[in-house]
Amino acid sequence: MSAHAATADHSSHDHHDDHGHHHEPGFWSKYVFSTDHKMIGIQYGITAMLFLLFGFYLMMVMRWSIAYPHEPLPGWMDWVFTDNWKARWLQDGKVTGDTYNMFGAMHGTIMVFLGVVPLGFGAFGNYVTPLQIGAVDMAFPKLNMLSYWVYLLGGLIMIGSFFMESGSAKSGWTNYSPLAGFADGQIVNQWLAGQTQWLIGLVCLITSSLLGSVNFVTTIINLRARGMTWMRLPFFVWAMLVTGFLLLLAFPPLEAAGIMQLVDRVFHSSFFLPSGLFTKSDGLVQISGGGSPLLFQHLFWFLGHPEVYVLLLPAFACVAEIIPANTRRPMWGYKSMVYGVIVLGFLSFVVWAHHMYMTGMGPAISTWFQITTVLISIPSVVLLTALMISLWGGSIRFTPPMIWACAFIPMFGIGGLTGLPLAFNLADLHLHDTYYVIGHFHYVVAPGILFAFFGGVHHWYPKITGRYMSKTLNHLHFWPTLICMNTLFFPMLTQGMAGFHRRWYNGGDAYLAKALDSANVFGTTVREHIDLNILMSRSAWIMALFQIPFIVNLILSYVRGKKVESDNPWNATTLEWATPTPPGHGNFTFDVAVYRGPYEYSQPDSDKDYTPQWEKPKTDAPVIAEPAPVAHH
Amino acid sequence: MEIPYIFTPRKDTGMCNSKIAIWLFLASEVMLFGGFFSSYVYLRLGADYPWPERALPVMPGLINTFVLIFSSVTVVFAWVSLKLRKWGMFQIYMAITVLCAAIFMGLKAIEYNVKFHHQAVRLSDYTILEGHLDHIEGITDKKGHEVEADVIHVKVNKLTFSTVRFHKPWVEEMIRQAEVNKATITLGSPLKIEGQEVPSGTALTVSLLNQIKKNHLASRSNNAEVRTEALRDAWVTEKAKVGNEGKQGWQMASNVNIDMDAIAGQLKVETSSIVFQVTPPTELWFPQRDIKEGATQSKLRDDTVIDGEMLESPVAFHNLDAIDFRYVVMKAEEKGIDPEKAIENTWLIKNNEEAREAWEWNKEQMVILQEELTKGYGLDKNGKPNREPTLTERYRIGWQDFAAKAEKVNKGHEAFNMKEQFMGPNYEHRAPAHTFPHLHIPRELVFLSGKFTPAWNTYYAIYFTMTFLHGLHVIGGAIVLSYYLFRGKKMYQTNPEWLANRVEVGGLFWHFVDLVWIFLFPILYLM
Amino acid sequence: MADSVEHIKKTARLYLLIGAVLFIFTGVTVAVAKIPMLDVGKHGFDTMDMILGLAIASFKASLVGYIFMHLNHEKKAIYWIFFGAIMFFGFMIFLFMFAKYDPIHFNGFQLGIPN
Repeated sequence: MSAHAATADHSSHDHHDDHGHHHEPGFWSKYVFSTDHKMIGIQYGITAMLFLLFGFYLMMVMRWSIAYPHEPLPGWMDWVFTDNWKARWLQDGKVTGDTYNMFGAMHGTIMVFLGVVPLGFGAFGNYVTPLQIGAVDMAFPKLNMLSYWVYLLGGLIMIGSFFMESGSAKSGWTNYSPLAGFADGQIVNQWLAGQTQWLIGLVCLITSSLLGSVNFVTTIINLRARGMTWMRLPFFVWAMLVTGFLLLLAFPPLEAAGIMQLVDRVFHSSFFLPSGLFTKSDGLVQISGGGSPLLFQHLFWFLGHPEVYVLLLPAFACVAEIIPANTRRPMWGYKSMVYGVIVLGFLSFVVWAHHMYMTGMGPAISTWFQITTVLISIPSVVLLTALMISLWGGSIRFTPPMIWACAFIPMFGIGGLTGLPLAFNLADLHLHDTYYVIGHFHYVVAPGILFAFFGGVHHWYPKITGRYMSKTLNHLHFWPTLICMNTLFFPMLTQGMAGFHRRWYNGGDAYLAKALDSANVFGTTVREHIDLNILMSRSAWIMALFQIPFIVNLILSYVRGKKVESDNPWNATTLEWATPTPPGHGNFTFDVAVYRGPYEYSQPDSDKDYTPQWEKPKTDAPVIAEPAPVAHH
Repeated sequence: MEIPYIFTPRKDTGMCNSKIAIWLFLASEVMLFGGFFSSYVYLRLGADYPWPERALPVMPGLINTFVLIFSSVTVVFAWVSLKLRKWGMFQIYMAITVLCAAIFMGLKAIEYNVKFHHQAVRLSDYTILEGHLDHIEGITDKKGHEVEADVIHVKVNKLTFSTVRFHKPWVEEMIRQAEVNKATITLGSPLKIEGQEVPSGTALTVSLLNQIKKNHLASRSNNAEVRTEALRDAWVTEKAKVGNEGKQGWQMASNVNIDMDAIAGQLKVETSSIVFQVTPPTELWFPQRDIKEGATQSKLRDDTVIDGEMLESPVAFHNLDAIDFRYVVMKAEEKGIDPEKAIENTWLIKNNEEAREAWEWNKEQMVILQEELTKGYGLDKNGKPNREPTLTERYRIGWQDFAAKAEKVNKGHEAFNMKEQFMGPNYEHRAPAHTFPHLHIPRELVFLSGKFTPAWNTYYAIYFTMTFLHGLHVIGGAIVLSYYLFRGKKMYQTNPEWLANRVEVGGLFWHFVDLVWIFLFPILYLM
Repeated sequence: MADSVEHIKKTARLYLLIGAVLFIFTGVTVAVAKIPMLDVGKHGFDTMDMILGLAIASFKASLVGYIFMHLNHEKKAIYWIFFGAIMFFGFMIFLFMFAKYDPIHFNGFQLGIPN
């Protein structure tokens, strides 16, 4: 916002020619404190991937404890521990219940809040959205930078809690009170307790995503290029718009809950602590009481369910870009996808208590939540089906991103379908808090969402770096990962139906002692199911091993990868491919105008099999100079 | 590179960026405060204790409402002045707005401060007492102030610290108190640290504890390493023995044990707790929140075990300014007992003459009030009065009532000045009339004691949380508005519309803060 | 919105008027809560007082929203954003209450709360 901007009534496009006047920014302002949405997107991406790796590591330790609860943690896993930690958090080298709880809580938190959301919304959203709508940058670049730094701060506070005397949070990623109100109660200075720092970190993360979502929605509403009407927006942008609204409106109630739980812990109030609370160590707890643990669950899941779609929509967004570009045909049902995603966003606010069927909800309210939950599966299925039908009759190129996208569809399908029994109160009473639930949502998140993101990385890598990622390394990454994902998560579904509880730190030793040979509905015994633990854990570790090709690919391709032949290497139609490679500060080198919908592949009136959005119509039809007034919103 | 539509509205949407952004932000604020309002309703409807309705003095809240509405008007006029290109008027209006924010926060600080110094006690028979505490003569904290009579006294003869958990300030405080009492705290039995002998009788210092801790952690790490290796070896041996029988870990686990004899030589001595003797046994005091007291053994929150007889540690009210039996009544009704009988049976009524007098006085007042109400509003067709005294009037004797009793006027007819409406009773002024009783409560009767903080009950918890958060918004808004006031000149000179635009956006936030208060004021002060 | 100087001068008077109305209704809300003569419903605080108090607060809030925050002539998109949020807040509080007042009843089930 310079002085001369204030004097002229200008629109978005008459300033591109003054690129040359900008002097090169220094290292710090270019790579670290950058306000460029592309650099911030990359920062988000790298940070989120590092967090994902760390979350993965926590899971590997947990899987050891589940598969081999009686054996010491092997050296290749416990080298991260200092001597003091080995003594404090391991018992004769074995993982203790406390440690398992800590790692479990942090695995969930890190994967959801620090890994997948920032990767989908922060990284892909930041990099791609302004490019796809033909904007020079986000509407508020400085806010964008602040959003990243607040996210990093929140993440570091959470990770930092591992170094506290109390260890990190240990009440599950849902942080239910009263447990979460008491854990680490022995720490006198509560600000230094891991459980408290989790809350502080969470408040930072919510603030960050709030700043981010305000920025995204503003950008999408106001910074679209000429001719980029609502129904010409790529599906990616639509998904980001809905995600932005979900973050904007669903996160604040959790912020309220986080603040209240913080007050509970630090100032000893009783928002979520009932009267007459009795604990093993304290007896009748000396608090005022009068609060409600259920209130926390309501506030948490009011966020928690939209959060699922915050994770999911960016993944759908990536796949929706990859599939048309690699099938060379228009996306099937673009409009129904757009309406579907809006309905999905809306409904996601009124389904939350299907996570709470076990809390003693009456028949009327649980009927409400069952109905809405089943309703929300309709738009989800619309989205998935549209993507699937888009494959029909296309001339599919199995490029690296397309392989991931193709795997996404069935894997996410399993995740979605296994969710249906959980939507129904009666089935949920049996399956609640078992490994079935774990299997269900990991199918959604790991081989679903993460596969889509791997695809996204391969898809946009050539735009970011100007080089392709290696196909060979990708195959070495993709196939083992696909197999291991299924051998890891599928047994969870059957284990869950056999009654394995999700929070057993030793994989069910006590259950085994009780029911060694009792057969379940599949005619299998607890004994057979407990042996699946070993298969699953080994799959997890092997999968970790086969992430190395990806990391190598990511780094090596930057210097050694095959160079792209043009600015539009996939011959795609959306606007990000109209920029130079990599795009400079300000993105576009020409006056951006949009003449058509986002996925015009193999149009009969074109000599190419793709017609980019920015290509002028051949006919003498009048060029759209100004966007039509927007009536629909 | 230039971001478009910073202050010129985009043609098709008709909005500039900042306008959209602030409304999005306000939408999320609606959800944030919505979360708190929902919690308020949920907690209030679910409260299993009498919700303290209309408990706060209205005057500060009312004045604050006026201040905030007034500032809302001035901030609009600041914007109008900019639109009319009157820079001087803008400055005046904006300055008034910021000043209003300061007044608002000042009043808020006073309100908070009154509560932080007002004591409340809940007895185990559910009687609630409010007032101000006595200071204990001769016992001072480390700043030299006399301690309030709400601490636990223990005649300590032995202290057992948790080596890893001891809380440094608490240890220092114990050393200080022992010094004041001319007692010594010394190591119970000799100890080896890094090969050096520490004789018994060494005085307790934080650095000594730190040394012990360091030593303990080192041996603990060493022992963990040794034991882990031993267990690993045991597993290797067992697996070799079992061979290819296809046994799983859980089938073998019972046979795998660490051979303790073999590693005995490698293990070092761990000191997870450390005993100190207090000679001669001396009286130490502890804040009641930090200690879980017992007759002969107490425990601090940092796992320090205190051996010694607990002495009498009464909660002593210097001025008891409210007696509240509503919780007693509620519990009595749950059990189907006559509330009045339950009240007469409370420890307070049985043991305290002044309290009984006040209770009798209040009962008389209720008869008078009922007569007044019947006179005013008549009887219904069943011959029952249309209006009856409320639960609060019947079962709570507040400081106003004590004042009325001392002034010998009827309940609700006492006189206060402005300061009392703000700050609560003026004790010095009312002392000669013996308005407020003095009271000693044995510790074993106290269930919960504390100031009027979030810890007292969920009403105060939500009151403080919501008003504090609202206060943060006031501060944030005031900072932004002061920025326009003091730094806006440049923007104004560049383009007055730019500043007008910004002030409009800042003003929108400010109005929203006002809007939240419009709801906060009735639900916290009037309901 | 119409930004002409005349229009703004005209609205300035409106702002003063609204300010006065807000002041008056603040007084009213305290008066009906504190003065026994004006007490609606039963003696003391009851549901009627709550409804009246919230109604006055909502009225005041809508004046602030419509006049001071210019919602009376604002773009449609902003209505959608703001009232969308208020709608979701409505859902939240409605479903919280719905869940609260529709519990499962166990016959003879007693919570072991020590008294």
